[in-house]
Amino acid sequence: MKKYIYSVLLCLPFFTMAQTLDRTKSPAPAKAPLIQVASPVKFTLANGLQVFVVKNTKLPKVTATLALDVDGFKEGDKAGLADMSGQLLKRGTATKSKAELDEAVEFLGGSLSTSSQSASVSSLKNNFTKLMELMAEVILHPALNVDELEKVRKQTISGIESSKDDADAISNNVMKKLVYGAYHAFGEITTTTTVKAIKVEDVKNFIKTYWIPNNAYLVFVGDIDPANAKVLAEKNFGTWAKGSFTQPIYDKPAIPATTYVAIVDRPASVQSVVSIATTVNLTKGSPNDIPSNVMNNILGGGFSGRLFANLREKHGFTYGAYSSIAPSKQIGMFSAESSVRNEKTDSSIQEILNELNIIRNTKVGDTELSRMKNYLAGGFARSLESPNTIANFALSIAVNHLPADYYQKYLTNLAAVDAQKVQEVATALLNPAKMHIIIVGNAKQIAAGLEKYGPVKYFDIEGNEVAAPTEVKADASLTPAALMEKAIAAVGSKEALDNVKDIQLKGTANLMGQSLEMQKTIVMPGNSVSTMSMGGMAVIRQAVVEGKYSVAQQGQQAPITDDLKETLDESSYLVPEQLYLAKGYGLKIVGAEKVDGKDAIDVEVTTPSKKVSHRFYDAKTFLLVKTSRSEEVPGRGTATQQQYYTGYKVVNGVQISSEMLMDMGQMKINIKYTDIKINQGLKTTDLK
Amino acid sequence: MQKLGSILLVSLFLLTGTLAKSQTIQFEKYTLPNGLKIILHEDHSAPVVAVTALYHVGSKNEDTARTGFAHFFEHLLFEGSDNIKRGEFDKYVTNAGGALNANTSQDRTFYYELLPSNQVDLGLWLESERMMHAKIEQIGVNTQREVVKEEKRQRMDNRPYGSFLTEMLKRAYKVHPYQWSPIGSMDHLNAAKLEEFIQFYKTYYVPNNCVLSIAGDINIPALKKKIEAYFGPIAKGSFPINRPTIKEPPLGGEVRDNIYDNIQLPAIFHAYRAPKQGGDEYYAFNVLSTILSGGASSRMNKTLVDTKQLAVAAQSVPFFNEDDGLFIALTIANMGVKVETLEASMDSVVNELKLGLVGEREFQKVKNQITTDLVNSKATMAGIAESLANNEVYFGDANLINTELVKYNKVTREDVLKVAKKYLNKDNRVVLHYLPKEKTTK
Repeated sequence: MKKYIYSVLLCLPFFTMAQTLDRTKSPAPAKAPLIQVASPVKFTLANGLQVFVVKNTKLPKVTATLALDVDGFKEGDKAGLADMSGQLLKRGTATKSKAELDEAVEFLGGSLSTSSQSASVSSLKNNFTKLMELMAEVILHPALNVDELEKVRKQTISGIESSKDDADAISNNVMKKLVYGAYHAFGEITTTTTVKAIKVEDVKNFIKTYWIPNNAYLVFVGDIDPANAKVLAEKNFGTWAKGSFTQPIYDKPAIPATTYVAIVDRPASVQSVVSIATTVNLTKGSPNDIPSNVMNNILGGGFSGRLFANLREKHGFTYGAYSSIAPSKQIGMFSAESSVRNEKTDSSIQEILNELNIIRNTKVGDTELSRMKNYLAGGFARSLESPNTIANFALSIAVNHLPADYYQKYLTNLAAVDAQKVQEVATALLNPAKMHIIIVGNAKQIAAGLEKYGPVKYFDIEGNEVAAPTEVKADASLTPAALMEKAIAAVGSKEALDNVKDIQLKGTANLMGQSLEMQKTIVMPGNSVSTMSMGGMAVIRQAVVEGKYSVAQQGQQAPITDDLKETLDESSYLVPEQLYLAKGYGLKIVGAEKVDGKDAIDVEVTTPSKKVSHRFYDAKTFLLVKTSRSEEVPGRGTATQQQYYTGYKVVNGVQISSEMLMDMGQMKINIKYTDIKINQGLKTTDLK
Repeated sequence: MQKLGSILLVSLFLLTGTLAKSQTIQFEKYTLPNGLKIILHEDHSAPVVAVTALYHVGSKNEDTARTGFAHFFEHLLFEGSDNIKRGEFDKYVTNAGGALNANTSQDRTFYYELLPSNQVDLGLWLESERMMHAKIEQIGVNTQREVVKEEKRQRMDNRPYGSFLTEMLKRAYKVHPYQWSPIGSMDHLNAAKLEEFIQFYKTYYVPNNCVLSIAGDINIPALKKKIEAYFGPIAKGSFPINRPTIKEPPLGGEVRDNIYDNIQLPAIFHAYRAPKQGGDEYYAFNVLSTILSGGASSRMNKTLVDTKQLAVAAQSVPFFNEDDGLFIALTIANMGVKVETLEASMDSVVNELKLGLVGEREFQKVKNQITTDLVNSKATMAGIAESLANNEVYFGDANLINTELVKYNKVTREDVLKVAKKYLNKDNRVVLHYLPKEKTTK
């Protein structure tokens, strides 16, 4: 009410106008603006280099981009060569070190970037002439030296190593290999091995083969006259020698005869990355191009797509669900993807397939269709704010052999897409009966029931087919207690074990390149101290000495819970299985699985304080090979910590694991004990 | 769309410096009777328009027992209005082919819609609805509280080094409200009652605390009439606005701490207390920052990242505000590099600035880089609209967009040496070492 009075009083001078305004409805748009897509000036140098100039004087700057017309690179056992060559290009020239080149570019207030098949420079127009000279130097006379290659190799390998933990990265790799095939240029995977195989000669050959003027475009955008651009192009790239290159036509990847399920087993996963993918015969500029984009956006474009509405809003399986469709001169691809909770993996696949069927079998409604076309038209209009858009359009027209007015007519063609056409492209391109369903996840928890979608196959993280994780059956006659006895006996004979009075292990822990000192000392019975320290300072110290428990993290004492007491008691045993039997821990053989490729028996251990963990024993030797424990972290789901035991050594007649890997998902710690001593005559007073 | 809104300060790593000149930006500026300032820039080069509203309220205006309010509003004000149903605000924009978002700093909150230019009325309607009668209801408060908590988890708790701003600010400031970051305290948000949110809205979300800045393919005379129709009827605010005048005393000695985070590589953050934005020292500091980390040839990148390979990333960030700011230098250690080794090299790169004048060629290089950056900052209508609004609110001078280059050109090598000597001292800084956290349950 008060608000109303204010508005009446205050808006008097504008009263007539305010009356015409109906606030209760969103205002109608004005007449659509005339979208003008400028055409570039084009010319070709004698060596075949095609040059486009898009003049735009809005800002006093110029950008030049050189782009090669290549459809993927067939790299084979040197996968990664193209990317690394692209990076190496700008790391020095025949006459300038990397540092000198960087300085020269930045002195001009400019920037220079290079990739496997493009190079780009940008600066204010007054410095642009000099910057073009540097660009030519980089492309025509790159240093390509060994030291810089080693730096690039090091970075590439650390990138690959860190992506081995990344379920999305694994999914992308496996998907491209399965969908395109290992022998297709689009299906190759860069691995540490392929990166290590790359030599500086390979890089030189790569540049020589692909970086040739008669297969390249040079595009100027900005405050530059076509005449001036021509002078710069001639002067800097006129002497660039022609080469010969024929784009190979790759064999079309086979479409699977029937939909199948590819699982990459990742036991640490709490979410499954689900992708449903297929190649599509779709080229840019073909009659299906624009309709397929509308169809894909209706299905899975961002927050307003059907997949999002279904999997996230309606069912809450996931934080997001999207699809994409990409045309290509050789072979295009469609995929629908979502990261879903483990237990909803099956349901999510079902819902995605349902949506594929719906968009094939029923016509989209008018509101949904026009909303999506508005969205795409608006995005197109807004993209024109960047002069680079016009350059990209020109390039796309050239490399995809599109009609010259393709982008001028884009909005008209978009407006013409109707419900009939959307359904047609969905039916033509998406066949749910012949798809790849790729899942990166915890096979043991998710695999059951997936056969209904098709044959289930297993792959490693590089997309090589592997055997299914076999159902290792533990010997049914084996009782938990008997297994514990076997596990104890595996470590050492009764005599050998009884003879152990104290143990000391010293070594190092490696945490992502940081090195920490590790030490663990046990004095029988029931006393132990473990420390992890950095530069002599204890980061973590945990101890139980004569019944006194303590855990300190960076010098701060942690509260001692029953759970911690149990953990500490356990670490005071050489063979904790003795403790389990003596104190009546809950023990249950729950199954078996492969650990490092070997069968292992999975025992669930429940402590008196009801904490549950799993211990895995080698099915043949009965040595402990892995432990696993999961905890609910408020707000973040389940965190699982796994520990692998290897490098067993016999010391004084007992088996001791000298190498451990602690795997906490994002973080891994490698522990290596190099100094193991038994019976040095230690006393509890030595446990400081 | 839950991710609408972001905390500006967290995107620190992307800040390049300040905004722009050399190309004159024409604009028209006026004030409605209710106090709403309006800045209009007409440019027909593309069929787009940026409709923006900058409210002069940030985390520094908050009550010490209600931190996080300003940022919370950045979320709450997408909930709807008397005429916009809950959850529909962003749909109007996406259905029109537009994009929208908002961000909050310590000093102000900024909302924008990027639209095809024939949809400019939609932008006016949405922003005027937001200002006139936004929905401040318990259900929206509850919903957005969860979203903000999730945002905090994702952006700060769960992201490597994500807590650094919060950790840094609470050590760098003892009395000034800059001591907390815009995300604020979840406990404060939990404790706040609906009436308090309504009061905050009535106090700060008023026309006389806002600049409406619109840039793009518009017709100024026609647009002015529309603006009057949409915004004229909104009542002027009647509650006093809290504008803190607290002066933070000197740090009085180096502050040093270790933070243990879920990270793989350690990082070092050095935050030197620095002057406020806009003065001569501020421009000198931005030049100094470019010397240290502008591009691959800058001193930190060349020495620490490329030559010595001690760091995988190195960056300096002039973190300037309406009141006294910070100058932050940060590095992330390369694998296997000891923090002490990296810190010693970092210090020697910074200390070199205090030992003598920067070479003439290097000085010219950074001036050239800054000139380019200023031009690039005028590349988009959104950038221009924001810059005009910031300059008006902070300095009462929207035209600074056209004169800033002059201020940079005035900076001499001696000025850089002077600020380096005056501010880049150990007793004037907070040092944080981010170290990998160990979890052990053996």
